[in-house]
Amino acid sequence: MSQQNDLPPGWIAQWDPTHQRHLFIETTSGHQQWEHPLETAGGPLDATVAPAPAPSGHGKRRAYAVGQTHAYDGAGEVAPYPDAAGYGAPVQPGMGGAPAPLFTPGLANDQFAAQQQAAQGQGYYGGSEQYPAQQPAYGQQQPMQYPPVNQLADQFGHMGLGGQKPFALHTANLVATPPNPLELLMPPPEIRLPPGASITDSPAANADPSYMRSTINVVPTTYQLLNKSKLPFSLVLTPHRTLKSAVNSSVDDPPVPVVTDTVIARCRRCRSYINPYVTFIDGGQRWKCCLCSMSNEVPQMFDWDQARNQPGDRWSRPELTSGAVEFVAPTEYMVRPPQPLVYVFLIDVSHAAVQSGMVATATRTILESLDRIPNDDNRTRISLIAFDTALYFFSLTPGSTETSMLVVSDIDDVFLPKPNDQLVLNLTESRAAVETLLGRLQEMFQDTQIIGSALGPALQAGFQLASTTGGKLITLSASLPTLGVGALKNREDPKILGTPKESALLQAGSPFYKTFAIECSRAQVSVDMFLFAATYTDVASLSCLPHYTSGQTFFYPGFNAARSEDAIKFAHEFGIVLGSQIGLEAVIRVRASRGIHMSAFHGNFFVRSTDLLALPAVPPDQNYVIEISLEETLTTPFVVFQTAVLHTTCFGERRIRVITLALPTTSNISELYASVDQIAVATFLANKAVERTQANKLEDARDMVQKYVTDILGAYKSNMTGGGGAAAAGLAIPTNMQMFPLLALGLLKHVALRQSSQIAPDLRAYAHSLLTTLPSQTLIPYLHPSFYSLHDMPPECGTIGDAGVILPPLLPLTSERLVKHGLFVIEDGQTIFLWVGRDSVPQLIMDVFNLPNYEALRGGKYTLPILDNPFSQRVNAIIGKIREMRRGPYYPALFIVKEDGEPPMRLWALSALIQDRGDQTPSYQQWLGQLKDKLNGSSYN
Amino acid sequence: MGGEGWLFLFAVLMAAALLFTSVFFIIMFSDLECGEHYMNPIDLCNKLNQFVVPENLAHAFLCLLFLLSFQWTALLINAPLLAYNVNKVVITKTHTFDATEIFRTLPQHKKESFIRLGFYLLSFFYYLYRMIVALISESE
Repeated sequence: MSQQNDLPPGWIAQWDPTHQRHLFIETTSGHQQWEHPLETAGGPLDATVAPAPAPSGHGKRRAYAVGQTHAYDGAGEVAPYPDAAGYGAPVQPGMGGAPAPLFTPGLANDQFAAQQQAAQGQGYYGGSEQYPAQQPAYGQQQPMQYPPVNQLADQFGHMGLGGQKPFALHTANLVATPPNPLELLMPPPEIRLPPGASITDSPAANADPSYMRSTINVVPTTYQLLNKSKLPFSLVLTPHRTLKSAVNSSVDDPPVPVVTDTVIARCRRCRSYINPYVTFIDGGQRWKCCLCSMSNEVPQMFDWDQARNQPGDRWSRPELTSGAVEFVAPTEYMVRPPQPLVYVFLIDVSHAAVQSGMVATATRTILESLDRIPNDDNRTRISLIAFDTALYFFSLTPGSTETSMLVVSDIDDVFLPKPNDQLVLNLTESRAAVETLLGRLQEMFQDTQIIGSALGPALQAGFQLASTTGGKLITLSASLPTLGVGALKNREDPKILGTPKESALLQAGSPFYKTFAIECSRAQVSVDMFLFAATYTDVASLSCLPHYTSGQTFFYPGFNAARSEDAIKFAHEFGIVLGSQIGLEAVIRVRASRGIHMSAFHGNFFVRSTDLLALPAVPPDQNYVIEISLEETLTTPFVVFQTAVLHTTCFGERRIRVITLALPTTSNISELYASVDQIAVATFLANKAVERTQANKLEDARDMVQKYVTDILGAYKSNMTGGGGAAAAGLAIPTNMQMFPLLALGLLKHVALRQSSQIAPDLRAYAHSLLTTLPSQTLIPYLHPSFYSLHDMPPECGTIGDAGVILPPLLPLTSERLVKHGLFVIEDGQTIFLWVGRDSVPQLIMDVFNLPNYEALRGGKYTLPILDNPFSQRVNAIIGKIREMRRGPYYPALFIVKEDGEPPMRLWALSALIQDRGDQTPSYQQWLGQLKDKLNGSSYN
Repeated sequence: MGGEGWLFLFAVLMAAALLFTSVFFIIMFSDLECGEHYMNPIDLCNKLNQFVVPENLAHAFLCLLFLLSFQWTALLINAPLLAYNVNKVVITKTHTFDATEIFRTLPQHKKESFIRLGFYLLSFFYYLYRMIVALISESE
């Protein structure tokens, strides 16, 4: 690329799609910066931003006949129709007609990219600022304007990719600064450790924020200081994340390095693992623990390369260079030999389940996923129990295709009809029998008329099968459990929705689901719940099991496999869960420097001791939040947090994953504010709000969120802006927290917390389970959806760029951006809404949906056809990218929302535009007004 | 020794027993908090849950005795705790310790146990005093 050629020697440019700009790296020093090196060096950059070549024809992009535009325009004026504008708005005379100085329509893609890159050196918004011709609406109809480019570039400077400058705190006025969704994609504030903190100076000495991040990247030395700032202090962990890169979809992130020689150096006193922040003393014979300052001996084999049987280089050991590392554990770390992977499927075969097509889809998916179920060591075992009002066991014979069904109708006292080893079978040996059984299951029950579900007894039976080894109960249930232990009542009562009594529906309805969960956790059994229901199924009670046994809950309301969208979504997510490389029999412990204490834990696990979390299984991409309290004054220049996950891999190896994070300390409150990681704060707040809902009431949770925001803003105002005075006119907030109030508002407006009498308790309960398990990367869009405009997207969007499919620029979440002739995408990672304006040109409808006009289009779940025209392919590419770009097994369903379509659908989609005023919720501006009044009103002066 | 003397002797013994349960609860909670003996929260909750209802029953029985023997002062002193217990055990059914929540609710439980301890201690001395008064008035 031309960008490479323009660089001075020793520099490389790396495309960063998150920020849609190049990152410049000096290869010799590893120094990184956003600015073009020549630009920073004051070199002549003019050459690179020279006007692009003259228009070179319209290339392969699609042009629409003037007639169409004319017809659609309605106003007799034939507007110039810039090719790149796609299905743009009626172009205002004198605006769209004039070619923009920077953008040249019709450049071939690579030329265009070059041009774009050239402009990127100038500022963050290079990407979108240069398409005035393509976005006629941009900056014209909207009162909202992004801050000027220079200012943002400035901020980037302060975000700091430079040397050891002190943290500069910049205050923004919330009222005057519209929220900019791109800020959510920025990395957290830089961690500026004192020089020499890490003994190897490796850039990976601190784990990537996707593994472990803190709400504040500087630790206050005293509790009083933290309290004064009102900032929450928590760690956000995703120790077992998949390697899917958040930046580049075509390349995976590097895997966690593994220490295979079983030499594990740990501190004698605090039991922490050796890491890049320890110091060697006594000529390297001993090491000093960075958590408790204990001096420990270096193990004898530490400097020996066992693979090659020769002295090794200590400094290249992964545990000293990398903040995320995995040790292969010797037998001392095992209570028993590593367990095999055991999957017990509990499949509901009652009338509702069979009729909805759940049974057929599930068995087909299991059948297709048999090769993807982790089975590297050929020890994986599976078993299947079907249940309605009775339990059906299947006894398989290894090596043959014979299966026999055993019916147990005594559900009050569940017993196994055959010994354990005849019901749980080795997948490799019994493959043929398993395949036959799965193929026939639907057939066996297809005419069933039985209504009712003995889920509780089925779980107990599954528990008996799995408890000797530990394993996973994968439960698929399509109706409310009505029989035996764990039977639930239909508690849903439309009259109490929206009242304080509603909160009771969000708590477990039967103690069985908690006591059984504890039993499971003890026996290393994890439960996954896949819930399908046309009616109330009490997700709140059933999700207790995954909650305390570290499983996952999936909910498919109104599932009907006859709709291919439903079947695909479930099959996709189920397939990923089956195929994922899970960890088993795990415990997580977080240690920290002296004076720091872990005070509360959020996520799917059982808290077994004050600082020990028990997880029978560790699914990938699960999020855990740990609250931290300061108990002593910190005297060291930096402190260290270390998370250790002792687990058995699904290929039968005992391993310890250790994630280390070092943060500098400060006694300066402005540094504290300048280092706030707003993404982590929002993640913490979401978890805290759900906990509050489950322990108290929805109102309490909402009040708590509100209080956090007011307190932080109030404390910032009184500490940093000297209270009242000129600052009273606005709402002051550190620039690195500018999006936080909007994220909090998104949380308040979220289906999990929103004040409304229309939200089914099942949907709320499922949202709660997602809020506490989604990793930040997926959680943030869930709170603050992404909003794209497709009809006028820049021509390179939807095509493959350096880092996968290029997405259109993000829009602020307000319906002011919706136009009548437009096509928009609003997505939150769980659902994608394709919003079609009522005045869409027929050609647009034809190109995307293959339908003659807007009237022929129907709203609701939809599968987008892939048509033989570039626009359709680009739209499909964008939808595809949205579906796969985030970590987690979720496959968002696509809904068509017509501007004048069914009101519920429209309201649902529009509720994602969180800056707008809602039914009982304020708009963003109103909310800021409320906050401001509160702050000016009383105690914060 | 007359009826009143016997009654308060019994009450003194009951108060002592209740005192010991409170101390036992506090010790168990502290053990869990410090994690020194590696106390499993599940076992702990199961163990403690066995004592909750008997403790409350014992207290209720004592109140019943006071009622039957028309000891209004003693009954009045115990009434608030009795009402609290009835509400917890019979009406809201929140008296059992939940192993999944125990670490979150630990400070609350400890506080409650301390308050109970204080209450039983005071009532112990009150019963002792009443017993002695009764014995003296009899012997006169």
